[in-house]
Amino acid sequence: MAGLRVIEGGRAGAPARSAGLPAGLLAELYEKHAAQVYGRCRFLLRDDELARDALQETFVKALRSIEEFRGAASPTTWILRIATHHCLNERRAARASWRGQLEALQEGRRHHTEPPEKRELVRVLLAAAPEEAQEVAMLYYVDELSQQEIADEMGRSLPTVRKRLRQFLAAARKALRDSIPELELPEGDDL
Amino acid sequence: MRADLGGPGLSCSSLRVRRLAAGELKGALREEAARHVAECARCQETVLEIEAEKAELQRAVPFEAFAAGVAEKLARPAAPSRLPWGRLVSRWAPLAAAAGVALVAGASLVRGPGTEKNAAGGVLVPGVRSKGAASAELFVQDAAGVHAITGGSVTASARLLVSLHPSGRTYAAVVLLEPGESSVIYSGAALSGPLPQAFEWTGSGDATVVVVLADEPVDAARIHALADVPRGADVVRIPLRR
Repeated sequence: MAGLRVIEGGRAGAPARSAGLPAGLLAELYEKHAAQVYGRCRFLLRDDELARDALQETFVKALRSIEEFRGAASPTTWILRIATHHCLNERRAARASWRGQLEALQEGRRHHTEPPEKRELVRVLLAAAPEEAQEVAMLYYVDELSQQEIADEMGRSLPTVRKRLRQFLAAARKALRDSIPELELPEGDDL
Repeated sequence: MRADLGGPGLSCSSLRVRRLAAGELKGALREEAARHVAECARCQETVLEIEAEKAELQRAVPFEAFAAGVAEKLARPAAPSRLPWGRLVSRWAPLAAAAGVALVAGASLVRGPGTEKNAAGGVLVPGVRSKGAASAELFVQDAAGVHAITGGSVTASARLLVSLHPSGRTYAAVVLLEPGESSVIYSGAALSGPLPQAFEWTGSGDATVVVVLADEPVDAARIHALADVPRGADVVRIPLRR
């Protein structure tokens, strides 16, 4: 007979029990939201291992605020915002440099008469902008929410949202001036 | 040249398509959005992107790996130490307190470039593919506290705990090999850190804990000898003796 006895909860209890997760909850959340959260994390972090970690961290935050998550008008918006916030923090912690990324973007363009792919350009330029302007830019340019929808979602006034978008554009324009000077971005008044 | 950064269209919003797909839109809003998406090339691109994301998730983060990772992180203290030793102390401390013993030190079975044997007696099987710094640690909790296995000697009733460092590997199997016997200690996602369960070795003589870290699922029940380890996997072998 094999000489092995597994000690249940030998570390900190079985993970699911110690976390107090109702059966099936995690599977339901995975089915509904994990793919787009992982997609968001890969988009922002450009590293599969970091994205996997960010995916799990996002769901840990969601599970720790499960009532708020389930009570949200749009759980999809709620969890994507959590993922975006986490990944933007990771990028800031890693001191992601827009300058190097812009140069790589410029080098990667096959035809310099065509502008770079728009979401990729937004992703690179985020690092040049102030913190809240980054989140507003993601909601506007990537999630394609209207300014009023962003204001409602973030609990900010419409003028504040517009101001953050203008901050993003000003920072982006300044960043492009050195790296891809032939590219022009819309003026703040175009918003 | 004027760059287009995108932004919401008159009727287009990628998030609205996502909400529609998630079943979050109701009544007239849902019907209107569904009608628009069916006729809008831009929104159809978002639909395709959602499908691609689902396929990528299944490929890269299957549910088992996802659930294990989330459970592992949920079990962590709010401000976890980045040091494996710190994590181990925090998790084993209640057990040690109950037993009235003190926690002492731990040691790692860390793979070094070109090494065949580590300080705690774990042997790396020659010829296996190396990927980053995939490794494993084996800790024992006995009357002397928590420490690394020394010379493979394990006292009766000691609790053993394997801690993994998968370094990008997705799947893990941990098997106890005894003469004529094999027992699965763990099989599943390559968790980073201590495994969910400790175990007690109740046998005698010589035995080996084999840790396999791989990119494909590992059928732990089929590992009865080192020769059964799938090709391309990282393997750590830790001898036990009593």
